[in-house]
Amino acid sequence: MIFLRPYRHYFLPFFIQVFITLIGTRFTESIGLINIAILHLIPVLVIALRGDMVATMIITTISVILFDLLYIPPKYSFNVHNLIYAWSFILFYVVGYIITFQSRRLHSTAIKDVLLSTLSHDLKTPLSSIIGNISLLHKREKLNESDHNRIVVQIKQSSQQMNRLILNLLDSARLQNTQTLLQPQWCDWEDLVGIALQEFDQDHQLIASSIDPELPLFWGDTALLVRLLVNLLDNGIKYSNDDTLISLTIQSLNDSIQISVFNQSPPIKKADLKNMFEKFYRLENTADMGGSGIGLSICKKIVTAHQGVITAYNGNGGVFLEVILPTIKHPDIRPKELL
Amino acid sequence: MKELVLIIEDDKALHKMLSFALEQEGYKSLIAEDLKSAHRHFQVHKPDIILLDLGLPDGDGKSFIKMVRHEVTTPIIILSARNDEKEIVTSLDMGADDYVTKPFSMHELFARMRSAYRRASGLNSSSPILTCGSLSIDTQLHSAYKHTQLLKLTPTEFNLLKYCMLHPNQVLVHARLLKEVWGVGYQQEMQYLRTFINSLRKKIEDDPTRPHYIMTEMGIGYRFFCENSSYPKE
Repeated sequence: MIFLRPYRHYFLPFFIQVFITLIGTRFTESIGLINIAILHLIPVLVIALRGDMVATMIITTISVILFDLLYIPPKYSFNVHNLIYAWSFILFYVVGYIITFQSRRLHSTAIKDVLLSTLSHDLKTPLSSIIGNISLLHKREKLNESDHNRIVVQIKQSSQQMNRLILNLLDSARLQNTQTLLQPQWCDWEDLVGIALQEFDQDHQLIASSIDPELPLFWGDTALLVRLLVNLLDNGIKYSNDDTLISLTIQSLNDSIQISVFNQSPPIKKADLKNMFEKFYRLENTADMGGSGIGLSICKKIVTAHQGVITAYNGNGGVFLEVILPTIKHPDIRPKELL
Repeated sequence: MKELVLIIEDDKALHKMLSFALEQEGYKSLIAEDLKSAHRHFQVHKPDIILLDLGLPDGDGKSFIKMVRHEVTTPIIILSARNDEKEIVTSLDMGADDYVTKPFSMHELFARMRSAYRRASGLNSSSPILTCGSLSIDTQLHSAYKHTQLLKLTPTEFNLLKYCMLHPNQVLVHARLLKEVWGVGYQQEMQYLRTFINSLRKKIEDDPTRPHYIMTEMGIGYRFFCENSSYPKE
């Protein structure tokens, strides 16, 4: 039954079709053709609200066929004697199309709303830390050296966090249209990791990286791959037990590159493991983490744009995030030089 | 002597902060909020260093670089927004000396200014031995050392290192490195550069993923970082 899961939104309209057909065929005379036609529009409306054009087309076609076959004279044939019914069929499709289109628009505004509220929350968190700390500095009195330093470090970290979030947003906009905007070139993984690590100055020592020294160059978008690494590490730091090591491993498999980030943490529920890459999904118990739901969803987009897959699984007293990126293009074999 | 810095930047908060920080550091500063006043200040006051934001209300900052380079070699440092790698590379090709991306730290900006100014005032040494931290190379003998230990470098690796050490703390655009080390016609062959930087780092860096010498400038090129080079600090 598992293979039916992606099609489960068809169940309700199908059920309604069957129900209407049962009623309609029984009481055709007393209800009248017009009302039966209207009844058959109900499943079309139900499916159209999902905003899926293909599904709408399928359900509408079923409605039209049923209506034609069962009610329109001559019954039980596809012949239509009166042209007026052909118009009804077209109207079925027009209604289905218009509602699908409208519901798509509603959908996208709903997403924008979520985006805005998440964003303002995520930007406000570091910002309030910055403002709070600055007002402490402003007062000046009674601050000893170490407090002063702690405050300045906090301001710096919060600003870096804001900067990271803004960079993510910019990339997210760029990723809306991956095919045209991907700028691939030859990348060296050690180099990418080096740039990514620069973004974490305080937490630097908490990250242990091990990179296969024989890793070939990779054909990909440098900026996005760096963002992928930064987000994976950032996520690892945020959700790990304090002061434990985050490990980053990159190795070459047959025709692909495997990146895995491990952090110690209590195991994550199965459903959460699946959903954590969806946009703005955040684990229930982490609402006030000050992190952003956007990081991992961007990871997924970046990985998909490079034809790869990203998965999360529990193990070893922590959580692994694993990325597999296929090597699509191979570098020219390096001209061997003699020492 | 106090060097005069011309700040060409239309954002008030930013140029106020810049001129304050520069003053603290011992520079004098002048502010231009658009190209027109930048031209005027440049002609009248002859600044020693120019900080230039590329997006100005009355036109493209790149035309200003062109104009300045026509006359003098005053160091120009670009203040750039991110996602502008192409703009940065073009500006560097047109004669800008260096760049910082917003948001930048003052520390970073001062370092860039110092090194650009030093280069412009021609304090380069002509000795065949160049040193930088624990690295040193002898350009005549074609040998490189780390902590007095001979490094086994291939000819290309050596040329790459030599070129970097001859241009310390300077942004080296990909195409320029490829042209200077590999030759004309190789400007697009990024995979050579990536491969050789990788192998060179393995030989000279303690930890290649946390490089100390060859820093990556994403989307632009590399920078050979050198704290105590054979160049005198002012």
